Amino acid sequence: MIHRSSFRLTVAACALLAGPLSAATIDVAIIGEPDTFDPMVSTKDVVSIVTQHFVETLYTFDDSWSVVPLLASDMPEISEDGLTYVIPLREGVTFHDGSSMDSADVKASLDRWLEVASRGKGIADKVETVEATGPSEITITLKEPYAPLLSLLAFSNSAAAVYPEEIIAPQIDKVVGTGPYKLEAHEPDRYTQLVRFDGYTQPTGAAERAQIPDEIRFVPVPDPNTRVEGLLSGQFAYADGLSTEAYDRIAQSDAAEPVLLEPFGWPIFAINHKKGLMTDLKVRQAVQAALPFDDMMFAAFGDDKFFQTDGAMYPEGWAWHTEDGTDLYNQNDQEKAKALLQEAGYDGSPLRILTSRQYEFHYQMAEVAKMALEMAGFTVEMDVVDWATLAQNRDNPDLWDIYITHSPFLPEPALTSSFFPTAREGWNNPEKNEILDRFTSESDPEKRKAVFAELQKIIYADVGLIKVGNFNALQGKAAGLEGVTPSPWPAFWNAKLPE
Amino acid sequence: MSRYLTKRILGMFVVIFLVLSIAFVLVRLAPGDPASLMLGPDATPQEVDDLRARLGLDRPILVQYLTFLANAVQGDLGTSLFFNQPVTQVLAGRAEPSILLALFSLVVALVIATPIGIWAAYRRGTPGDQMSVTTAMLAASVPSFLTGLIFQRYLATDLGWFPVSGYGGPDASFATRLEHLVLPSITLGITNSALILRFTRASMLDILGEDYVRTARAKGMSERRVVLRHALKNAGIPIITVVGLTFALLVSGAVVTERVFNLPGMGNLAVGAVLRRDYPVVQGTLIVVAAIYVLVNLATDLLYLVVDKRVKY
Repeated sequence: MIHRSSFRLTVAACALLAGPLSAATIDVAIIGEPDTFDPMVSTKDVVSIVTQHFVETLYTFDDSWSVVPLLASDMPEISEDGLTYVIPLREGVTFHDGSSMDSADVKASLDRWLEVASRGKGIADKVETVEATGPSEITITLKEPYAPLLSLLAFSNSAAAVYPEEIIAPQIDKVVGTGPYKLEAHEPDRYTQLVRFDGYTQPTGAAERAQIPDEIRFVPVPDPNTRVEGLLSGQFAYADGLSTEAYDRIAQSDAAEPVLLEPFGWPIFAINHKKGLMTDLKVRQAVQAALPFDDMMFAAFGDDKFFQTDGAMYPEGWAWHTEDGTDLYNQNDQEKAKALLQEAGYDGSPLRILTSRQYEFHYQMAEVAKMALEMAGFTVEMDVVDWATLAQNRDNPDLWDIYITHSPFLPEPALTSSFFPTAREGWNNPEKNEILDRFTSESDPEKRKAVFAELQKIIYADVGLIKVGNFNALQGKAAGLEGVTPSPWPAFWNAKLPE
Repeated sequence: MSRYLTKRILGMFVVIFLVLSIAFVLVRLAPGDPASLMLGPDATPQEVDDLRARLGLDRPILVQYLTFLANAVQGDLGTSLFFNQPVTQVLAGRAEPSILLALFSLVVALVIATPIGIWAAYRRGTPGDQMSVTTAMLAASVPSFLTGLIFQRYLATDLGWFPVSGYGGPDASFATRLEHLVLPSITLGITNSALILRFTRASMLDILGEDYVRTARAKGMSERRVVLRHALKNAGIPIITVVGLTFALLVSGAVVTERVFNLPGMGNLAVGAVLRRDYPVVQGTLIVVAAIYVLVNLATDLLYLVVDKRVKY
């Protein structure tokens, strides 16, 4: 990254001693400190962004979110009954400790993934065996067909990461991966320094990891304004998680360009199906009928450059896009809600909305929702807490009826935990579960799309969860930076700054 | 004197013990669970329970407290739940930026406040005095985050004179790290200069009205000598007191300034630890802060001996 010459007054003489920064260093401002370098045990995006550079999985996603091989040498051979996946492994892959990867490492890693990773544990009951069926071959046998398996193996979040068998343990203190960069140094709250791994061999399926920068440094910068200033001053080549208010300033700058992820994700009103008011379908329908999604999105994001009022679970352009069921989206009909409440025999008990100001847009949406719900006759109780409290309280179904969260659009719908009855929301509708079972066991992509349309329809009919809309996220890059594909999890192995 | 010192040091341990006991209870009374935060949004309640057990957070609070006390006596403040490093190591990493920031901002504050305070007292009632007092009030009223943001935007981003944030990368030399402290030091120095200025002016006003000052003038001493040698020396005790307290406050964490400039100091650490419910780090930080306050107070009291020979302990 280009580092501009800076202050040279009182420390001018001393500054001569400062080492020059390499032009081939990419400094990236991230929103916080990754609390682990083991992506198996975390679902945090910031962990994925950093660790994907030094830890790899058998498969990954290409730019169009199709699964492609990474540590596997090819796509698996899947038996006709969909129960057996034979995965060929790439040969000559070296871990950062110098050892070679073989099927024993992959088996040990997958076994751990099924034990400790939340996404792995979620499918552990469907996996019969993971076996090393050759030095460079692994075979996964399922108890029942499960089509999202490859997507799960490809995802960098709660990742099925491959580690040397020797370091496998419930808790791994020093992660050893195979990625194009290796972890060189980590100074908490200052930087995570990655350097090019010279023993890296290119994947056969995924796009080339060209290892252009000598170093990639991830700098935790919790304050969004400081990330913007750092980007505009040239301190950072890339900045994640910027406030949309900074868009115009970045766009007008010669030093940087805005990167708009359009759309990035969807705010969600997660519903407590286990206990309380929202276990009554009529009450859920009343909430759905009352909410003015366009007003909520406008209050939250301010400018339609940053949001779309869209009821489809996946936006246009995605394979999963369908309009089925969306006639129930954005009704903004408080009279209908009132009638539904009457049918439900609503007694005025407070509807508890659990939210936080960690993400200001959550709170702003909740404020508008509160007004609309009160117009419909609800008594609304806002429980605005800090994120740590929210993260604890949402696990207790006695404490909330709705909590507000958001998610990026995930490449595979089965990665959205809220659809499953085991999630904290506990949406356990038998008809939906049957659709979900068909969706996860169907291997034909076209048939899966049709089943997903059924799933979307029942999400609206049964009000399994409430999608508020689509929102865009803002990142920023130094002017002229190339080789970084906009993504919720941007990667920097191909990043190149102009000379 | 040695009896006095022994008494003060014993008192320091009592203060630290009380602080850590209160801190231990308070952080656990706050809602929020570190395990939920560490595991991320898709963790199941069972995973959260498992992690709580692994971290020892499921044990009775009294057991946790006694274990903590026993370890703390041996210098072991536990392991950070978030960084997975010993708390002492985490705190040690924050010492350099925090101490240097405190020192530099104190220097900035003194350079601004002392001459203006003396001058304002000497020119009591003049427009210059009024202006200096008004400016001091203004500086005290503008929050440091606003001053910081303005400096950051215009002096760092637009003019490129200073680094915007952070404390330098892996290859940052000491000079580079110092460079990163310039803007935060000026920001904090300006904010803190107001209090020191007011104290300096008030102390000097008292002293300049004393009989011995009048006597010095009657003996034909120059005004410079009267003010700087006789008056300032005797106005020193209240000024040293406020400087000492300001220094303790700055070392223990200039929370907002460190946040704006993304400095990895004690203030940033403390805020992050509270938000992440990293109990051992919160406790460790509070112990260090208490120790700093007690030690700086002690140092201030000892400085009185140097400044005023009449003071005896």
